[in-house]
Amino acid sequence: MSLTPADDSIRLVPASQFTIEQLTALYNKTRVDYMVPMPMNVARLADYIRLYDIDLDHSFVAMQGEEMLGVAMLGVRHQRAWITRLGVVPTTRRHGAGKMLVKSLIDAADSLSSHLIMLEVIKNNAPAHQLFLKLGFRETGELLVLRRPPRTSPPDPMVADAQRLDRTDSLVLVGHDRGMQPWTNQSESLTNAQEVSGIRLTLADGSRGWLVYQRQKFLLTRFAFKTERGDPVTVARALLSHLHSQYPRLDTQIENIQMGDPHLPAFYDMGYMESFRRVEMWRLASDG
Amino acid sequence: MAKVLVLVIEDMPDNAELARKVLTARGYEVILAYDAESGLKTAIEQHPDIILLDLGLPDYDGQTLAGWLRDESSLTNVPIVAVTAWPPETARQMVESYGCNGCISKPIDVAIFADQIAAFLKPSPAS
Repeated sequence: MSLTPADDSIRLVPASQFTIEQLTALYNKTRVDYMVPMPMNVARLADYIRLYDIDLDHSFVAMQGEEMLGVAMLGVRHQRAWITRLGVVPTTRRHGAGKMLVKSLIDAADSLSSHLIMLEVIKNNAPAHQLFLKLGFRETGELLVLRRPPRTSPPDPMVADAQRLDRTDSLVLVGHDRGMQPWTNQSESLTNAQEVSGIRLTLADGSRGWLVYQRQKFLLTRFAFKTERGDPVTVARALLSHLHSQYPRLDTQIENIQMGDPHLPAFYDMGYMESFRRVEMWRLASDG
Repeated sequence: MAKVLVLVIEDMPDNAELARKVLTARGYEVILAYDAESGLKTAIEQHPDIILLDLGLPDYDGQTLAGWLRDESSLTNVPIVAVTAWPPETARQMVESYGCNGCISKPIDVAIFADQIAAFLKPSPAS
């Protein structure tokens, strides 16, 4: 393929005009040279689209002729939007496809009256980071992706009045006030997920809090948590000790925990390790 | 003597075929799996002598799969070697904590790849 900078033969087509198989294959091709490639199969991408309210009519594939060059997707919730799965096939980068894709998503979000567009970019992915800055996004924080291997010396559950919560009660606790959380951790993401449950506990000194999570076949993930009273580290340590003593054989992966989260030391105490970091970026409609 | 059986779990067909080609030339028997679910099934059914594990798989990631493999009593002593493009220190910490025996950087160096694998294999009783 011969592309020139800002090649005007590139056109954008709504992602809804492609099959999920085509989108999966394209997405994986765009990530082959990433340090953290995060490939997906068809089922996983379909689940991603459903969980994160991806609007394929307002998501785009960059094409030249019949060749698919890149993809970018837009999540839409109320008057917020989220840019995700942006990627351009390595051999066709630096010819404007990525910029065209992001600009088209910004336009789509504006057409949907979104007040805020959110995204995350893997830390040290300088080309993408620079592109987002040029298009009006501002850094709002740094996010951690954490893991805890299974059978990491499971802690004895801390003495507490602990209550297991079913899906309904868990989702009530998560509530609807998480719109400023990273997209993956907003209440809608948990509402859209299967196998959601939770723990709520009160410690002897009156400290109390809750943790809501998704349990997959081999994995605990999608945590939402809150300290309602007391020291966040103590409450989180108690919640995690109960969770991991309940599921000692399950791997755990949680993403987009904010660097300044006051619960964070408890995660490290409980055997979590940092996998990688992302930079969170926002673009307000008034910035446009 | 039976050939050493190597299970390569890698979602990129080109990478998998390259590993197969290099290891077959060394005299190993190589079987391939392209995702975590089929990798686990193949490992349990075929009981390989060593497992090479890509950390980026399309259904569950390699760390999660390493956890399942280590949970299988029949595979307890089978070396698991992660193959990854992660920075070396991050990769080392991650694979050790998930019960892998070590890691090899991607892209593989075909000149030394077979020797790297051989180093993870226990000497056979006859040797």
